[in-house]
Amino acid sequence: MISPLLHDDPHTVGPFRILARLGGGGMGTVYLARSAGGRTVAVKTLHTRLVADTTLRTRFRLEADAARVIGSGHGAAVVDADPQAPTPWLATEYVLGPPLDTAVEAGGPLPEPAVRALGALLAAGLEQLHRSEVVHRDLKPSNVLVTAQGPRIIDFGIARAFGEEHLTSVGSAVGTPAFMSPEQASGLEHAAAGDVFALAGVLVFAATGLGPFGGGAPTDLLYRVRFGEPDLGRVPEGLRPLLARCLAKDPAHRPSTADLYTALGGTGDAPGDRRGFADLLPDGVLREIARRSDEVWREPPHRLPPPVPAEAPRPEVAPVPGVSRRRLLAVAGGALLGGGLLGGGGWALLGDSGGGGGGAKKKDAVDRPKPPAPLWSTGLWCPDSGGDVMSAGRNLVMRAGIVLCGINAESGKSTWQANIEETWRSTTDGTRVYALRGHEEKAASLAVCEVSQTNGYLGKPLAELAAFDGKEQFNQLLCVVDGIAYLVARSASGKRWYLVAADLDSGKERWRSPVDEPQAAGAPPVLCGGVVGSRVVLCGSPAKDSHFFRLSAHDKGHGRQLWEMSETFAGTPPTRLVADDHNVYLGAESLTARRLSDGGLAWLFGNGRDVGDSAGEERRYGAPVVQEGVVYCVEADRGLIAVDALSGTLNWQEKGLSGRKNQRETAPAIGKRYAYCVDDKGLRAVDLHARKAVWTYETKPLVLTADPKGGRLYVRQEKRTIALPLA
Amino acid sequence: MLACLPPLGGDPARWGAEAQQAARLTQPGFWPVAQLGGTSAFPWYASPYRPALPLPAVLAAHGGPLPEPLVRTLGGTLAEALASAHVLGVVHGGVCPAGVLLTACGPLLGSFGAMRANPVAGASAASATGLETGCLAPEIAAGGPVGRAGDVYALGAVLAYAATGHTVPERQEIPAGLRDIITVCRSRDPEGRPEPARVLAELLPGAAYGALAGSTEPVSLPGRVVEALSRQSAEVLAAALPTQER
Repeated sequence: MISPLLHDDPHTVGPFRILARLGGGGMGTVYLARSAGGRTVAVKTLHTRLVADTTLRTRFRLEADAARVIGSGHGAAVVDADPQAPTPWLATEYVLGPPLDTAVEAGGPLPEPAVRALGALLAAGLEQLHRSEVVHRDLKPSNVLVTAQGPRIIDFGIARAFGEEHLTSVGSAVGTPAFMSPEQASGLEHAAAGDVFALAGVLVFAATGLGPFGGGAPTDLLYRVRFGEPDLGRVPEGLRPLLARCLAKDPAHRPSTADLYTALGGTGDAPGDRRGFADLLPDGVLREIARRSDEVWREPPHRLPPPVPAEAPRPEVAPVPGVSRRRLLAVAGGALLGGGLLGGGGWALLGDSGGGGGGAKKKDAVDRPKPPAPLWSTGLWCPDSGGDVMSAGRNLVMRAGIVLCGINAESGKSTWQANIEETWRSTTDGTRVYALRGHEEKAASLAVCEVSQTNGYLGKPLAELAAFDGKEQFNQLLCVVDGIAYLVARSASGKRWYLVAADLDSGKERWRSPVDEPQAAGAPPVLCGGVVGSRVVLCGSPAKDSHFFRLSAHDKGHGRQLWEMSETFAGTPPTRLVADDHNVYLGAESLTARRLSDGGLAWLFGNGRDVGDSAGEERRYGAPVVQEGVVYCVEADRGLIAVDALSGTLNWQEKGLSGRKNQRETAPAIGKRYAYCVDDKGLRAVDLHARKAVWTYETKPLVLTADPKGGRLYVRQEKRTIALPLA
Repeated sequence: MLACLPPLGGDPARWGAEAQQAARLTQPGFWPVAQLGGTSAFPWYASPYRPALPLPAVLAAHGGPLPEPLVRTLGGTLAEALASAHVLGVVHGGVCPAGVLLTACGPLLGSFGAMRANPVAGASAASATGLETGCLAPEIAAGGPVGRAGDVYALGAVLAYAATGHTVPERQEIPAGLRDIITVCRSRDPEGRPEPARVLAELLPGAAYGALAGSTEPVSLPGRVVEALSRQSAEVLAAALPTQER
């Protein structure tokens, strides 16, 4: 809907004068604008900070092309576009109708005749797209505008031509889980039949107010899309068989758009002859359409004044609920380095939360360093666990939703993807990528394979271990070091679990050593583990509702267990093994260091230390990261601390931080000049010399990974991964 | 903006005088006149554009007479606008179907340049050409002064038009629920006609006075009427001076 311009919105874009804001998203802003000749249009621009991203520019151009293909009958007519402009823009007609989700909210589920008419017209629109070899790939209620003359399909942000290289990340990384096709959810090719699946989902939503696979967490949804039965219980009976066919898991079993058009009673109405469509719409939807038709003619709201910069960070008013807890853990074998984080949209100056706060000195606001622009940004989902960015040669490997993706480190473009759903079954040794053979495959034995960095296929097994059950889903591949793969696997003969070392050159098992079986349902036996010096260190996954986990060390040469102990945790148990040559470091109620040699306590930091109000959280110390003899972690909500790794004494602590809620589950990342931490305002850069926060990049990171060699910081947020320069 | 010019064959000076009168009316429920200009030989006025359909176009879009609930909403809103104008001593004098402009948020009274009440000098029934006879109260047609009761008579004609498609229907053509109120508005005797506020109360029992005219919330309209409004809006949005477009 129409809202005021912000102080820093442009006054003109291309030949258009900007009147008001219509909306904003991750990629850009949509404005209401008027040409010199008086034509009123919607202008979409790409965010300035993203214009350097050639992938996004290409997408922007493709979107303009796709919008032209679909035309004004089924989409928004393209008036003008300049994808090459310094700020690329696309001007289309301003479509007078609410998105389908708003429409259903306003008028309730649509009656069957309206659903049929909507479906027939959408099928005709898709038909037109597909005839020009364009697939939409992101059809969902918010991308369907309901006008009085019929639906219009918009937002071709990820539409692409058949056969065009995967432009937009891959697999689960794109699209909306609730309306994704199963092939898309599996990271496979989503072709025209995928749009038919999505269209059926949109019609189920129109008829019931809910998607065919319900709601909930993206990962659950993805699972249901791939394997679950759609819920058509509330769909009118007459539509059920047809929609069930459209929602077939196998694309070949779905009807074509032309079949669908006919089956829904489409009659070939030209756009100008669709006046009867409005008669089918509920009153609430008609009023929404009428409101938009009228509202656009009112005087646009005044541009908002710039916010007053606040001098000092403001005291915390109310604690914000903590970030999502990521329960499952994964092996961090091939992760680049500690710290995970990641980020999203714009940036905010420290303490600039938009409130009043007079007495600000302009100079300070101007002199403050600003967050850098992202080097690239890609629509890659971050899994609940194992979100660390791994390296494979000069490229990156990330677990994304339910696939494993190869990413070009320079451009952020996806180069390959492998259909490996479980985050604990893949790793890298810094050069090559490895995974366990799929547990759903026929072969009975456990096998370690190399993943091709050309096409993502699993090669022939490098090691095949008949003594272990290949059908066990929770077998884990911890890491591969010096040609030896370290696994945790269940024996073929029974329920015993072992830590196994397998030589990938000879394909033979080197040794095995018994370990605890998985302690909680749906989780692998080990949270994280890897080779540290001459030892293999494991953090066992805790039993449900327990606050203890097992920490153990095995000899790398022969597998014998050297020591084992119970350790407590608070918040989320460790997802990443943090160790140097001497100790393993853990952050919970206190920050502790355990000797690698015998598991004894090397030091404990934070006992009895006043850390201020920890907002009722048991976890006072965040996930740590160790670098060059210094352990960094956040301390409650007070800020970053740097502790000497050998002695456990405080080197320094961050100054002047307040009003932030530190995200303790995400470890910091360390650069040369800055340490990067995550709080409720975003990604905070702390100057390592001044020991003060210098900027905040507005984002919601789940995992931060520093890549000192490439000079990049990878910030993984729920649906998007970005790279920032690591300073 | 909408720029309005006098009709061909009319009296531009008189039209201009009426536009001036209209510009002084800033009543809710009246189509606003934002700017006047030109000369007495070539006057114009301008209004901010908003999507609107004259009542005959509404019936054409809908495909016939309007449903009774909508007639009640229209009539109630117009009655409220007239009531507040009459309180200020302003008589519209030109209410007719073509002068009722339906927007997404309800009807507005327009119709300047038809016939207007005092204080336009020389206004009389004799010169009241161009106004539908069905909307002209008998006393005005007979040469009498234009008064408030004349507006009520015309309102009755507008309601009759909305409910049946013409301004002078037979009594049994009118939907039963509206029959009495329309008939009483159209009494030959001005004294027999109700006050506009009374018409409002009859049409929309319990409606809060002052909440209808000038509302900025959309009212419930039939699908094809919304379609016609939104299509008009889209067409005007897409319109441009061709020479200035790139």
